[in-house]
Amino acid sequence: MILVCGIPSETPLHMVTSALEELGAPFVIFNQRQFADCDVWYEIRDHEIRGELRIGQHTYRLQDFTAVYSRMMDDRALPELADEPPDSALRKFCRAFHDTLLRWTELTPALMINRSAPMASNSSKPFQSQLIREHGFLIPEILVTSEPDKVRAFRSAHGRVIYKSISAVRSIVQELSDEDEDRLERIRWCPTQFQSFVQGTNLRVHTVGDEVFPTAVRSDATDYRYASRQSGEPAELREVVLSQSLADQCLALSRALGLEFAGIDLKITPDDEIYCFEVNPCPAFSYYESNTGQRISAAVARRLASSHLRQRNTMSA
Amino acid sequence: MWLVLCSSSDRPGLWVYEGLRQLGLDPLELVLAESLAHGSTWEHRVNSTATHLKITLPDGRILCSSRIRGAINRLLVPAPGIAQLAAPCDTEYAQAELQAFYLSWLYGLPGTVINRPTALGLCGAWHHASEWIIRAARAGLPAPYYRQSAHDAEDRGYRSLAPDAAATHNLIAFRGKIFGAQLPEHTARACTKLAQDSGTELLGLELFAGEDGEWTFANATPMPDLAVGGTPLLEHLAQTLREGAPS
Repeated sequence: MILVCGIPSETPLHMVTSALEELGAPFVIFNQRQFADCDVWYEIRDHEIRGELRIGQHTYRLQDFTAVYSRMMDDRALPELADEPPDSALRKFCRAFHDTLLRWTELTPALMINRSAPMASNSSKPFQSQLIREHGFLIPEILVTSEPDKVRAFRSAHGRVIYKSISAVRSIVQELSDEDEDRLERIRWCPTQFQSFVQGTNLRVHTVGDEVFPTAVRSDATDYRYASRQSGEPAELREVVLSQSLADQCLALSRALGLEFAGIDLKITPDDEIYCFEVNPCPAFSYYESNTGQRISAAVARRLASSHLRQRNTMSA
Repeated sequence: MWLVLCSSSDRPGLWVYEGLRQLGLDPLELVLAESLAHGSTWEHRVNSTATHLKITLPDGRILCSSRIRGAINRLLVPAPGIAQLAAPCDTEYAQAELQAFYLSWLYGLPGTVINRPTALGLCGAWHHASEWIIRAARAGLPAPYYRQSAHDAEDRGYRSLAPDAAATHNLIAFRGKIFGAQLPEHTARACTKLAQDSGTELLGLELFAGEDGEWTFANATPMPDLAVGGTPLLEHLAQTLREGAPS
């Protein structure tokens, strides 16, 4: 049995459950928005992890789950809690429920896409860049500073410079311009991240187990996710084929970071240098799948189901 | 230069600074979390070949990665100075940005850093009790029964697992040695293996005597009371920092 956690109508989650249905793989969905009608516990005794998850009227043994796909939103922001006071019993139950489920997913021997501990490398982009560098990719020049003069010198040295959040909090990548000069003094209050702009073709590589799904993105926008807003034209996405060595390098990076499923952001320069910007541990792959027809969701479903088959074969053996 | 990074209220951090100073580790700089938060200027660079850090502290001291040989890192979180100045709607974002920034520059410090940060904690990995139990058992350390449910208090997973009446013992595992306790050889081996396997060079452990008399896991922390290890720990820390063994 496969456990899927999140909100069923969310596009990536919906794509994966549809693919699981196509495969005929048995799965059950924990809908976060119905947490109040669920319950969960687990125990650790003599190295064994056992427990139960109740969803509505149905109770499942946690040890029967062979794989888990989780795309849960921050439970504190669930609409069901919007009118609840900070110390309400429902809020406490919601937090404790999610914490218990999360802790179990960190421990279970089931295949997990993805465990939260390895996902944490994405909580700091310059930190993750140092890990990426250790795996043989070039990374852009990064400056985090509270000194406006350092930024000016950095811009003089590199020409085009972008700025973005340091943390995992999503920000729209922007190019530093002359108009930003007036605001530059504000960085004295909080160190801010600047990055040299790398010319080239954006490449998003999704890795799923041992499979890669490379997508080239053509856009004049600084942040192609917001291409229509930034350049007036939507980004153009197309499926491409990677060299075996680059595919292997991407797979090795995902594996080294402990990620079963990842979205790796690369840029190929006109000189064929490969820069890696980020490894997204919870990729919203639906944008790429919808634009290219690449069956990323099917690969995720296959990966989840393969764990099911492997465990069944092991048990019958 | 070597650094001791801690907050002004971190007594073990201040104790280790004083102890290392008395052992002649020089130059040794005490860098308080509060001074990093108020009025310091920062320059942190990362590129394809190197990581660089330059901090100018409010008192004029300059910490430059080209001169740093190692550090005792006991920074738990960035001191709240800057984030508190943010507009209420930006406070959480400012905290996340600072946490992310600290993780990067601490990770990039050259030389021997005890403990080097991980994505799960600035001074080493902070694990939930359930995770420590599994890791302890894998390392060969008996661990107690554990149960968690949706009806438990959330902080339960970060408390000691020792029964209320049990006598507990605190010790420190650091680079294959135990400080602060005399343990049976197999228990000592399990404790040092737990520290090694969890990627936390200097790990504080709390054990209690189980019903069968075996030392049993109760808790672990990457930020223990270093005074538990006494002078032998101080001497080993000083030697490790001087030798510059990679961390």
